[in-house]
Amino acid sequence: MPDRFVEVDGRQLKVSNLDKVLYPETGFTKAEIIDYYVRVAPAMLPHIGDRGITLRRYPNGVDGTSFFEKRCPSHRPDWIGTFAGPGDRNGTIGYCALDSVAALAWSANMAALEIHAPMARGVDIESPTMCVFDLDPGPRTGIQECAEVALDIRDVLDRLAGLTCLAKTSGSKGLQLYVPLNTPHTHEHCSEFALAVAQVLEKHHGQRVTSVMKKTARPGKVFIDWSQNSRHKTTAAVYTLRARPHPTASTPVTWDEVDAAASGTPLVFEAPAVLERIEEHGDLFADVLTVTQELPSPGVTV
Amino acid sequence: MPRAIWSGAISFGLVNIPIKLYPAVSRKNVSFNQLDSRTGARIKYKKVSAADGEEVPAEAIIKGYELSSGAYVTVGDDELASLDPDASRTIEIEEFVDLADIDPLFYDSAYFVAPDKATVKPYALLTQAMEESGKVGIARFVMRSKQYLCAVRPKDGALVLSTMVYADEVNDPKEIGEIADLEDVTLTKKELDMARQLIASLSEDFDVDRFEDTYRNQVLGLIERKAAGDTEIIAPPEAMNEDKVIDLMAALEASVKEAKAARTRHPAGAPEAEEEAAEPAKKRARKSA
Repeated sequence: MPDRFVEVDGRQLKVSNLDKVLYPETGFTKAEIIDYYVRVAPAMLPHIGDRGITLRRYPNGVDGTSFFEKRCPSHRPDWIGTFAGPGDRNGTIGYCALDSVAALAWSANMAALEIHAPMARGVDIESPTMCVFDLDPGPRTGIQECAEVALDIRDVLDRLAGLTCLAKTSGSKGLQLYVPLNTPHTHEHCSEFALAVAQVLEKHHGQRVTSVMKKTARPGKVFIDWSQNSRHKTTAAVYTLRARPHPTASTPVTWDEVDAAASGTPLVFEAPAVLERIEEHGDLFADVLTVTQELPSPGVTV
Repeated sequence: MPRAIWSGAISFGLVNIPIKLYPAVSRKNVSFNQLDSRTGARIKYKKVSAADGEEVPAEAIIKGYELSSGAYVTVGDDELASLDPDASRTIEIEEFVDLADIDPLFYDSAYFVAPDKATVKPYALLTQAMEESGKVGIARFVMRSKQYLCAVRPKDGALVLSTMVYADEVNDPKEIGEIADLEDVTLTKKELDMARQLIASLSEDFDVDRFEDTYRNQVLGLIERKAAGDTEIIAPPEAMNEDKVIDLMAALEASVKEAKAARTRHPAGAPEAEEEAAEPAKKRARKSA
């Protein structure tokens, strides 16, 4: 199919290869990917629009090579803005600002299947607005083990400091817990806190939890990746598609669902199901943007 | 400000002046990255074994000096380090010469010599004395495991160091046949007079500021134009034909419908359908995005 000029959200852009299959196993096409991002935009944009975005592009589909694009392409339309963020060797580079339906359609047309976002907003990259626990299942573990660990972390956070947290699937194999902050914190503070919590869990549940990134430490265990709370790191954004065999997305889930997952109920959502859930429940991750909480002071022993 | 790349001391006679070297030149080449035209991915180099094409890990790579074709003497880094010419951190000025005696052919890279905070005075003294005598210091020093010949000279109240190539590193122009053949050429006085007149008419005082890298400017201009008016992904709005612009969702509708219909015809998981559907899908997926 030839390139076509289209209008979305008052902006004009060119789309190409709409019928190209980017998920060969399911036949999911670029048109469907753009369609998903346009429809999920109302729920997704509040979470990503004010952050410097890292794109992960799969020009030849999920089975082909991919590349992370931190520096926003210079050939972007002039209505796509950028946020200065950490670059190589202490410099800064301009990250894409995906703050409109049109911007999401543009990135989707570039086969940017995955959208990764930092913990801090683009206007204040030194202040994370949330703290993340990225639960990554090692060999021989899966979403069920992640769900068990997620429930443990939730209880620790609640008992420790009365902190609320929200869960989403990573869209890949794991689960992610977000602690809304929306009060001044540093990346170091979040990182130290997340590490402390991870180590507490490791101490009490050493059989199924590790706080160590080393691959050899991971078989049979869930790795609590606390290091995602770093100023130069990004995490798969809520509602992003993932480059898996099926078009799964990072989906906010309720604690009841995490409970059920811990007993073996599957917790995987593909693009159409994610849109249905939003229609039914609204944005289950909305509290991440509004709830204000403070982490215990640095140095406090957990 | 550039970063110091070497620190040590200049010494001449009994005087020892701690100094640092800063690059005098920042090159402004336009550098390109190599990309895969199909995906836009960066091209990466891999070190592979010539024997089996397998990638060789960095820790397995050693240095070898080829004696005859295929026969090598291997040399370890520690062996090379023990050979370091004089590893002392000193630029020892061995003699002073007239600047005009040095052919520019020998100059390699230029560095600014900056004094240590505590030794500003001896530095200034050496600089001014050299300025007044009109002499250039010739020295040798070691930087990054290599011994350099260098010329140290005053310029605008500071010292400038130029590394130089060794005489045996300069090729003999007589080895170039076309140059050697010049000996057989005869010129008439009339021809020479004309050439001299031409040179006189083009003679100017040299002003380096009048020259700029016009090629680099053209390359940068080209890049800017391409970056601003990318034709691959986005056409500038004014270039768009209003009649052709349709609503994105309307444009997607037919494609989405077709993709869904294709899945219903060949539901995933049905083995015979899988074979039929997967093949063309994979083929299509290789085309550019």
